[in-house]
Amino acid sequence: MIDYRLAKFQPLKHLVCYDDFDRGLCGWTNLMPNYTLDNFGVRKSIVEKTQWGPIMLSTATFRFPGTHGSMDGLYSLKLATRPVANRYEEPPAPGSMSHAIKRLTTHRKPGRLQFEMWYAYTTEQDRSGLSENDIRAFGVSFDTQNAQARNFAGVRYVNSVNGELKKQWQVMQAGEVSDADWAYGTDGDWCKRGVDPMWYGRRYPDGEADGYRFIPDSRQELCYNESDDKINWLYLRFTYDLESRRYVELQSRDRVFDLSAFAPTDVRPYARIEGLLNPVIWVENDSNRRVFLFVDSVVISVD
Amino acid sequence: MRHFQTSTVEQRRVVDTDFATHPLEVAWASEAIFFVDAEQLDEGGGPLLLKVQLSVDGVNWLDEGTAFEPLRGNVSAFRRVSHFGGWLRLEGSLPERGSAYRVTIHLVAKA
Repeated sequence: MIDYRLAKFQPLKHLVCYDDFDRGLCGWTNLMPNYTLDNFGVRKSIVEKTQWGPIMLSTATFRFPGTHGSMDGLYSLKLATRPVANRYEEPPAPGSMSHAIKRLTTHRKPGRLQFEMWYAYTTEQDRSGLSENDIRAFGVSFDTQNAQARNFAGVRYVNSVNGELKKQWQVMQAGEVSDADWAYGTDGDWCKRGVDPMWYGRRYPDGEADGYRFIPDSRQELCYNESDDKINWLYLRFTYDLESRRYVELQSRDRVFDLSAFAPTDVRPYARIEGLLNPVIWVENDSNRRVFLFVDSVVISVD
Repeated sequence: MRHFQTSTVEQRRVVDTDFATHPLEVAWASEAIFFVDAEQLDEGGGPLLLKVQLSVDGVNWLDEGTAFEPLRGNVSAFRRVSHFGGWLRLEGSLPERGSAYRVTIHLVAKA
């Protein structure tokens, strides 16, 4: 018998997670810094990481249409920013992003690793009009580490840059910059070049960023719909080769982008996180608005 | 098993003017507790006033009827709420000019 809930995915041979948020948050939590200093303080950084908008279980309910529910049920995982933003080329404002993370470790010989999700996105409908331009970007990634390197492997959809629609995909790969450059010109940050490209690495007014490369010919319409209170569920599949530490491909809706020309950036391993395998989802606003990413379900698989 | 979720809706947030907490969807829950840790940062005695609000859509808010006693100094407090529909938040106000607090607010929800 076909399991219709899983039939909309294309998993690799071994499922690691099938997270349908009708069953709860399934181990997805808010991404936070390390509270290891006096009075549970965190290390000083140009990027304030304690204020990202908390995630929640959503019914996708709006003022006039009422409840959307999720793609095959009632609840989705919702990432919600706070209503504050900086310009694209500045460090992200405290609260201008929302991140969800699930903390795993590897359990098989390294092969391919795949992230799939059905998702939708919109802005908070707190005013009239259409607000597509207020969503800057969203993405998914894996934070991994083996004995050789820590790697951030991921993709993001750059929707809008300072109000101008871009609608192009990028892949995580750090530019030839120093650790200080990576932290927007500050010294001594915990973060090294290549780590946490969600918010580190300088960004430039044309949408380029030190943490990413544009995927060629990747401009794509994603069915934002005609009103902020209508959401359409979209498919994303991102495949990475954990053994060779190279990218494989990205599928968004019905388009497949070859990523084999790209590789994530090797970073010297950090202490106490060998075997790390953390899938991450995030969304970022492009103006002082709350923006939302709804995730119906996620499949993580390996072969 | 009952569903359970603790969310840190505000974390060491410094407030010196009226504010509202991050709106949280809690349609799955039937009961909730707001826990508040407040630390007064100014020298005055101006209180921090907090009340529970609910909403149809997370945009338009109405008073639920539950309010905290006025908070002063360094204090921890909680309030229970139930039968709240789909959304919850706290609205905060500082009636005395020059008041400032650092607040951490948890919303603890259970189905």
